[in-house]
Amino acid sequence: MSAPPGDAVSRRDRLGLAAAIGALVVVFRPGRSLARRLRPPGALPPAEFERACIRCYRCAEVCPVKAIRFDTSIDPRDSDTPFIVASERACIACMECTHVCPTDALQPIARDLEVISQRVRLGVPVLSKGKCLAWTGKGICRLCYYVCPYPERAVRLVGVRQGPEFSADACIGCGLCEEACPEGAKAIRIDPMGGTA
Amino acid sequence: MATPTVRSTKSAHARARLDVLQPADLRLRHGGRYQWLRRAVLTISWGLVIGVPLLHAATLERASHGLFGVSIARYLPASPAVTTGIVGAPTSLAIGPLELVDPLAAFGVLVAGGGVAAAVILPLLLVMVFGRFFCGWICPYAPIVTVSTALRALLARFGWRQRDVRLPRRSNMVALALLLVLTAAGGSQIALLMYPPAVIGREVWRLVYFGGLGSGAAVLGLCFAFDTFYARAGTCRYLCPGGALFTLLGRWSPFTIVRDRALCTDCTLCDVVCPMMQSPMTDKVDAGCDRCARCVAVCPVKALHVGRRTP
Repeated sequence: MSAPPGDAVSRRDRLGLAAAIGALVVVFRPGRSLARRLRPPGALPPAEFERACIRCYRCAEVCPVKAIRFDTSIDPRDSDTPFIVASERACIACMECTHVCPTDALQPIARDLEVISQRVRLGVPVLSKGKCLAWTGKGICRLCYYVCPYPERAVRLVGVRQGPEFSADACIGCGLCEEACPEGAKAIRIDPMGGTA
Repeated sequence: MATPTVRSTKSAHARARLDVLQPADLRLRHGGRYQWLRRAVLTISWGLVIGVPLLHAATLERASHGLFGVSIARYLPASPAVTTGIVGAPTSLAIGPLELVDPLAAFGVLVAGGGVAAAVILPLLLVMVFGRFFCGWICPYAPIVTVSTALRALLARFGWRQRDVRLPRRSNMVALALLLVLTAAGGSQIALLMYPPAVIGREVWRLVYFGGLGSGAAVLGLCFAFDTFYARAGTCRYLCPGGALFTLLGRWSPFTIVRDRALCTDCTLCDVVCPMMQSPMTDKVDAGCDRCARCVAVCPVKALHVGRRTP
């Protein structure tokens, strides 16, 4: 090679290189994603999602409420993939993120309440009645009912105490109820299952 | 360091030069419009990397403190990125209707068993025509390499000369192959976690939006240390999977560095200044050339120019 020669590769360099490649293989070892988190709306099912997501951060860039954040996990299978922490900032189901994904890891979904209701399932609602203010009779609270984009379908108020009753069939899992649920109670939780319905 | 064996007059000359010369000390004499254009494009690239998240964050901030401290972000007609029409760092950029996706990302999705977006076509064509131009013209890591090279020169001036280890030229191909195999086996886009421009885009975004850094900052730190203390531009030469892919795709590019034999004085400056291990002085410029044309600018007798490749 006629390019100006630099320093030669020493024995130590070779060992270092082998160690680096070994570390690379160990860190990037094949396997399923470990994350059990709410993915943004329209997300493909878990294994397919990590395969398609190129970690470009576009979904978060268009999110008007900064609900989408990114994994800092050292595990490269999850690293830099988007997720939502509903209790802190829930999805408002505007569907902007689904239209900017360059690899369709988030499938485009029309901004229409009926279409969203059919196709979006971030997770399923799980209510702990023992913590709920209405069900325990500690107070009159209807926050989950008021913030729900599908009142009377995803959540209904039942009984004398007007406690919430959730229906997993109609719930899109946006988590607005989880965000709204009062700090002391946090009775409703969206259990991640990921993917489109 | 052991004295290398002398193979030819030219390479002996080159070796002698290398011991005294630091590439960063070489003045780009007459880069002219080409170099200024390149610097301008690199500046725009960094401007997008920093400016787009800043713009979006500022718009959101104003929206969320809009009315008596009450968030009105929820009632925005559309997100700031949609209203400004620009989304994404350089690896996946959308300006209005123009969609661009990095070919490395598309290949990663392809080997993992997914479909390839149509947005990759234009970048792919550009790479096939202009070769590895992304590395010298757009990649936000390129100015960082310039900083690292300058740091090497500075350290050498203080008597601490850094090594410039020559790994096999195909090292980056091995890195690309390894990462793609792991991508296919693991079903996760890991090549993009080792790809400096993508990492820079993400880390800047994270810093602007959430005020913190992720694991990518460590990757960047390692890359910079590798470049500074081990091999000049070592990340681009030996490790970057994107550079390797563009080298493969740019194989049929009609452009190269053309030398005027009558003018050339075999001074080796072009070979010394080249970050990509090309040798314009001996007419050995392959698809690894990142079109930075530093060799053209450094030539004291204007014997080089960027031109058409003659078969």
